[in-house]
Amino acid sequence: MALRTPVRTERPAPAKNVGGRGRRPRPSAAGARIWTWLTLPGTVWMSVFFIASLLLVAAISFGTTDQLGDPRFGTDLGNLKALADPAYRDVMVRSLGYALLTSVICLLIAYPVAYAVALHAGRFKNALIAAIVVPFFANYLVRMYGWSVLLSDDGPVLQLLRAVGLADDHTKILNTGFGVIAGLVYGFVVFMIIPLYAAMERMDTALIEAGRDLYGGPLRTFLFVTVPATRQGAAAGMVLVFLPAMGDFVSAQFMGGPNQIMIGNLIQDKFFEGQDWPLGSALTMALMAVLLLAMFGYLRRTRKDEAEATR
Amino acid sequence: MSDHLPQLSRRSLLRAGGLGALGLSLAGCGFSQPATVPVAQTEKPIDMKVDGPLVYFNWADYIDPSVFAGFQKEYGVKIIQSNFDSMPGMVAKLDAGNKYDVIFPSAKYAQRLAQAGRLYAIDHSKLRNAELVFGSYSYFDDPWYDPKSAHTVPFTMYKTGIGWRRDKLGALSGSWQDLWDAQSSGTTFLLDDEDEVLGMAALKLGLDPNTTAQGDLDRMTSLLQTLRPHLRGFSSDDYNNLLNGTATMTQAWSGDMVSVLSQAKDATLYGFEVAKEGSPINSDCFAIPANAEHPGTAMLFIDYMLRPENAIKTIQYLGYPMPVHGTEATYAAMVKQLPQCVIEPGDLKPSLYFRNPSGDGAQARDTAWTDVKAG
Repeated sequence: MALRTPVRTERPAPAKNVGGRGRRPRPSAAGARIWTWLTLPGTVWMSVFFIASLLLVAAISFGTTDQLGDPRFGTDLGNLKALADPAYRDVMVRSLGYALLTSVICLLIAYPVAYAVALHAGRFKNALIAAIVVPFFANYLVRMYGWSVLLSDDGPVLQLLRAVGLADDHTKILNTGFGVIAGLVYGFVVFMIIPLYAAMERMDTALIEAGRDLYGGPLRTFLFVTVPATRQGAAAGMVLVFLPAMGDFVSAQFMGGPNQIMIGNLIQDKFFEGQDWPLGSALTMALMAVLLLAMFGYLRRTRKDEAEATR
Repeated sequence: MSDHLPQLSRRSLLRAGGLGALGLSLAGCGFSQPATVPVAQTEKPIDMKVDGPLVYFNWADYIDPSVFAGFQKEYGVKIIQSNFDSMPGMVAKLDAGNKYDVIFPSAKYAQRLAQAGRLYAIDHSKLRNAELVFGSYSYFDDPWYDPKSAHTVPFTMYKTGIGWRRDKLGALSGSWQDLWDAQSSGTTFLLDDEDEVLGMAALKLGLDPNTTAQGDLDRMTSLLQTLRPHLRGFSSDDYNNLLNGTATMTQAWSGDMVSVLSQAKDATLYGFEVAKEGSPINSDCFAIPANAEHPGTAMLFIDYMLRPENAIKTIQYLGYPMPVHGTEATYAAMVKQLPQCVIEPGDLKPSLYFRNPSGDGAQARDTAWTDVKAG
C-alpha cells in the first residue's frame, strides 16, 4: 500500500485500473536482480520440502505396500477408489464443520483480546503478547493429554463443578463434540490473536477519532472503521486456524469419542495402525483438495478486499 | 482415587496412537531400500562376546535402569539407548539404515522382519539361560512367527481382556458380551487397535480372529455397529481411562492392568477377565537386526536379560510377564488381585495370535476397521 500511494498521486485517476495493479516505478536492473536472488532461499526451501514431498505423496497415492508394510510406487487406482467409502465423506464433512466452527469461535474469542492488547494495553503490550504466546511453546500433544486428564470424569475440573453444583454425576466433557472443539479452539486460538493483533497495531487510531468526530457512536465507529480496517487480519487468522484444525487428529483423539473422529485420525491410522501409506496418501490428497478450495475462496476474498482498499 | 493424576508411563501413552512417530516414519522414508546383508553372514552363528557398545532400540521406559547398570558394569560396555513409539516407526528407522544391536518386535513384526531376511539367526545353544525359556514354554520352540525361534527369543507376553470397575458394575459374565453391558453404556471403551477390535468381534462370533473373508468382516462390522452406541471412545490408554474414572469398562491389555493395581488407591475396585470365547494372546521378542554392528554384545545382553533375577526386575518394572522359568511366582504375586492376568503356557495358542494377513487381506481388514471407527 505504501508503494501505491505515490503512484496514484503522480497521475490522473486511472479509469481502467480497478484492480489496483497500476504500473510501478521501474526499478533499476541491478535492484531487480537483488530481489530475485533474495527469493532464492525461499524457493529452494519450498521446492525441496514442500513441492517435492507433495509430489512424493501424490506418487505414493498410486502405490502399493510390500510385505513389510513399506510403500512401493505403482500405478494402482485402488486407493482412489477406496475413497468412495462413505465413511470418508462423512468424516470429511464433520471435520469441515468442526474446523469452521473452531475458526468462528476463535475469531469471537481473539478479537476482543487482540483489541484490548493492541489498543489499550499501553506499555504492557509486549508482555501480554508474550503471555499469550509462551504457553504454546509447550508441545500441543502434551498439552492436550494434560487437558484430557484434567477434564476426565473424576478429574479436578468436574469435581469442582460438582462441588459447586454446576455439574451432576452424568456430566461429561471428555469424549464429546464440545470437548473436541474446545480442544481445537484452545490449540489454535493463538493463530487468530496474532494476525488480528498485528492488524490492529498497524491500524491508524486517528481513523477511530475521525469516526467519532464525524458523530459516529462507539458501535458505528467500530463497525464502519475498526472492523473493515482489521478484516484482512481476521481473514488471515481464519485461514491460519482453519487449515490446521481441519487436519488435526490430536484433539479428537484425546477429547473425542467414536462419533467425533476427524479426517486426521483416519489418515494417521493409515500411516500407523493400517500401515497403508498409499491409502493414507490418497486421503491426504483428498484433504488437500478440500483445503485448496477453501484457500481459493480466501484468495478471492482478499483480492476483492485489496481492490476495494485501493479503489 | 478421585484426584488421581496418572503418570505418563510405559508404552500406553505413546501406543495411544504412535503420535509422534509420524515425524519419525517420514524422516525414515520407509521406501528407501536398506543395503541388503548377505544371507550367509546373518545365518552364521554369532560369537557371543563383547564386540562393542550395545545399541538398544525399544519402547521407552521398558527396562529397569538398574538392570542396564548391571550389564554395563559386568561387561564393561556402554548401552546406547534409543526408543520407538510404534512398530511401524521401528521398521521405518531400520529401513532408513539405522544400525541397532537389539530390537523388540511384536510377533507380527518379528515374522515380517525374519521373512524379509532382516534378522540375524540366534543360536539358542549359545545362550546360557535359553533353557529357562524353551524348557518350560515349549510353545516357543517353534512359534508360528519364527520357525524354531531361529531369529528371536521371546521377551514379554500379554493377552487382551476386559478391565472394569467392580464397584460400579459388580461381577461380569466372562464373555465378550459384557462389553454390551447397559450399565456401563456411555463409559465403555474399546482399544484403538484394528487387530484387537476386529479380533474381539471375530472371537465373539466364533470366527478366526485373523479372518480376511469379506463375509466374516461384514458380520463383524455389523456386530460392532451394535456396540458403537455404547462406546465412549476408542482408546489405547486403557489403564488411565480406568484410573481417572472415564471408563467403567474397557477392553484392556493384561500388562496394563498391573499399572492399574500399582497406581490405584483402592485396587479392589478393579477387575480383569478374559473372555470364554477366546482372548487374543501376543508376545514381543528380542531380535538382532541383520545390519547390527555388535551382535556379540547383543547376544550377551539377551542372555543377561534371561537370568531369573533380571527377568524378575524387568517384570516388576514393566508389569508384563516373561516366559522365563522361575519368574512365575513373582508375577502371580503381583497380580494376585487379578489372577486372570497370569499367562499359562497353555494360553499360548497360535490361533489366538494376530498375524500378518496375506495379499489384499490387510486392505479388507483396514476397510472394515475404518467403517467401525468412523461409524
